[in-house]
Amino acid sequence: MSVATRTVLMPPVPNREDIDATWKYLEAGISKIMINLQEGIDMQTYMGVYTAVHNFCTSHKAVSNTSHGSIGSTHRGAHLLGEDLYQNLMTYLSNYLKGLVEISKTHTDEALLTFYIREWDRYTTAAKYINHLFRYLNRHWVKRELDEGKKNIYDVYTLHLVQWRTTLFSEVHEKVMDAVLKMVEKQRHGETIEHGQIKSIVNSFVSLGLDEADPTKSTLDVYRFNFERPFLEATKLFYQAESKEFVAENSIVEYMKKAEIRLDEEEERVAMYLHPDIILPLRKTCNNALISDHSLILRDEFQVLLDNDRYEDMQRMYNLLSRIPDGLEPLRAKFEAHVRKAGLAAVAKVAVDADKLEPKVYVDALLEIHTQYQGLVKQAFKDEPEFTRSLDNACREFVNRNQICKSGSNKSPELLAKYADTLLKKSASGAEENDLEATLVQIMTVFKYIEDKDVFQKFYSRMLARRLVHTSSSSDDAETSMISKLKEACGYEYTNKLQRMFQDMQISKDLNSGFKEFEAGLIEPEDAKPVDASYAILGTGFWPLNPPNTDFTPPAEISKAYGRFQTFYGQKHSGRKLTWLWQLCKGEVKANYCKNTKTPYTFQVSTYQMAILLLFNESDKNSYDDIKKATQLQADVLDPALGIFVKAKVLLSNPDGEKPGPGNMYHLNYDFKSKKIRVNLNIPVKSEQKQEVDETHKTIEEDRKLLMQSAIVRIMKARKKMKHTQLVSECINQIRTRFVPKIPDIKKCIDILLEKEYLERLEDDELGYLA
Amino acid sequence: MAAEKSSIITLQSNDGVSIDVDRQVAERSMLIKNMMEDLGDEAISTAVPIPNVNESVLKKVIEWCEHHKNDPQPAQDDDSDSRKKTTDIEEWDQKFMQVDQEMLFEIILASNYLDIKPLLDVGCKTVANMIKGKSPEEIRKTFNITNDFTPEEEEQIRRENEWAEDR
Repeated sequence: MSVATRTVLMPPVPNREDIDATWKYLEAGISKIMINLQEGIDMQTYMGVYTAVHNFCTSHKAVSNTSHGSIGSTHRGAHLLGEDLYQNLMTYLSNYLKGLVEISKTHTDEALLTFYIREWDRYTTAAKYINHLFRYLNRHWVKRELDEGKKNIYDVYTLHLVQWRTTLFSEVHEKVMDAVLKMVEKQRHGETIEHGQIKSIVNSFVSLGLDEADPTKSTLDVYRFNFERPFLEATKLFYQAESKEFVAENSIVEYMKKAEIRLDEEEERVAMYLHPDIILPLRKTCNNALISDHSLILRDEFQVLLDNDRYEDMQRMYNLLSRIPDGLEPLRAKFEAHVRKAGLAAVAKVAVDADKLEPKVYVDALLEIHTQYQGLVKQAFKDEPEFTRSLDNACREFVNRNQICKSGSNKSPELLAKYADTLLKKSASGAEENDLEATLVQIMTVFKYIEDKDVFQKFYSRMLARRLVHTSSSSDDAETSMISKLKEACGYEYTNKLQRMFQDMQISKDLNSGFKEFEAGLIEPEDAKPVDASYAILGTGFWPLNPPNTDFTPPAEISKAYGRFQTFYGQKHSGRKLTWLWQLCKGEVKANYCKNTKTPYTFQVSTYQMAILLLFNESDKNSYDDIKKATQLQADVLDPALGIFVKAKVLLSNPDGEKPGPGNMYHLNYDFKSKKIRVNLNIPVKSEQKQEVDETHKTIEEDRKLLMQSAIVRIMKARKKMKHTQLVSECINQIRTRFVPKIPDIKKCIDILLEKEYLERLEDDELGYLA
Repeated sequence: MAAEKSSIITLQSNDGVSIDVDRQVAERSMLIKNMMEDLGDEAISTAVPIPNVNESVLKKVIEWCEHHKNDPQPAQDDDSDSRKKTTDIEEWDQKFMQVDQEMLFEIILASNYLDIKPLLDVGCKTVANMIKGKSPEEIRKTFNITNDFTPEEEEQIRRENEWAEDR
């Protein structure tokens, strides 16, 4: 702090009690600020105006009390002065602005915008100054008025804005907006405009939004009503006109490109010079004019795009229609129908020779369609869940109901299971492990759509049983992988039996090595070398296998060995009954008798065939009836077995060329010839396979009945009482993961359960559970 | 902070004395702060006239501002209850306000004019403390007020304010 010498003269401040003189003094200062601010305002004027305001507000009419500084003599604060100043300022602003309105009439369009912005900037800058200079008025008189809840009193800055709005804005805003919209239209036509001007206008309009209830807050009302509304209206008209014209002269694809560009432009426009608040309504306006108004022709075009695989254009259409409410639903419906049609067509193509249809060809046909349209969903429809659902619906439809798999037929799950079997079976063209895994994944894709999952399960377990029993699986890893996939898709119960079958095979391996040791201890050195055999113990409940349907006397050569095994197993697990599944057994016999070769042939035969062949160890010829008597085999098993021998010329039939039957004689053919050393004679017979398929289908029907009945009992046990219709729908719900039950079937099952007195009929169509 | 650069402002009292003050100190006054904002830095090349305050009061006010220069600026509309209700005054301010009545009122008027809200508060609280617990007669004595009420008027006022009597 230091004391300097006196350098400046005090500004002449008017008499504090004289409102006229004070106002005259203030008006001069305000005008200077309002009109000539760029020339700067000197400190004297600034301090003078502030002081004059202060002095006026602190003056009091009771002039008699001159003892300054004595509180008791004044009633300061009881009534605050300032209303006169406020009113005068208001009038001044109003007059000033009326002048501006007059001048504005000489301008139009861009010149008007320039004028408006220039005057707005000048005015608001001045308002900031004046607000500071009238701070004393704000702090006391205005504050008191506001505290007392007076309406239409504002702080000095806000007063400026209010005056601008009521005096100037109300007169010119329409003309200003016209100019703005003209500029925007120019820009939409590709001209370059000075968009900073529009931004200034937006800011001005926004600033004028004052909340009448609370002047300290601002609202967007003024802007919305005076800017946004006409802007949106103009936008709507512009794009309605433009799009109508464009569509008439160009293709839909071209139009979509145009619309995309226009929509992007409008977004940019917001970022460039509009208020961010407009983005949603502007989007909506554009969407209406550019998309909704043309949604019908867009949708019509969709089919054309689908037919021609125009991924990019479909993506474009997706993007456009996703912007409007319910825009995509019709596309999804079209898409679904299209995929279904494509699926049916693909099946029809391969269905020409339905009987000889390779499972692979069929499954590949299904997969190809799925892969193609899944790709489309991903590329064009952003993997949207609703489109995926449409794809799924379509696939489910054509997988379960097509030319091969007609309604009520179980061809799809059957073929799929067969395809899985060919993949998992040992084959010459062993697929690479990776390829195999990938193919299994594809199988699961189709499996997902299969409705009759129980049918797949049936066939799959039968074929798995065959692969395991004949050790014809290509790889244990692939088998386990497939089972775990099924488990993942359908749960533990679905694959339980499959897993148990697998386990049985593992346990049997250990059992065999145990048996080898047991057998070694049993055999006397002078005994003939025992038959080298392996055994598999298969749990009755888990394997889809039946006991043999023919009597059979096994040949002496093997009966000893199997007798020993039976003893061995009986010791290990007393009380278990073994049933020999002869029809699944097989073996190899060496033919030492053949003249044409040094190395003896090895015949791979079924055990039934073995029994027949071994008879020829005793005698070179046997009659049909001898064979039948010795083996005890029934004709339907014996005849085909003999037939294969005759066909392969292992045995010669007499009379020649007749079907095996009573009266035939069979000779051992010493001149047997074959290119291979190992000859496979264990060939399944066509009729057997066909029979097996039919059998499988029959068991499916029976299993389904049981499944439905157990579901019904489960539900009723939990609910005790239930309406008939409710029970039916609940039952469908529970079973649907396995197959789609038919309502009459469920009703039949309910009737059966009523008969068996698990359920009872109650009043009012209700059913009750009987424990 | 810009205030660290401590440019100097010259203030001139109404009796013509110029006093140099750190800008940061001077800007405790909202009047000066706003002015600096409006007129810009070049404006302080000339002295700032303070037409309503004489040298002794201005110095006193500057002393207070100097001491409080690092206080946080009060919010625009700080009408919080704590500010209004408490009559607590910090120790330095109490000592600062130990001046004769004439000076006390001049400080209040000056802080009102210069728009230094915290100082205005301290001044008013000091006066309030002088009134607190006193009878009307004692208050008149304290502020040298002559009783210009008629006995009837006084009786009426007493009745109207009976509810506030501390009994």
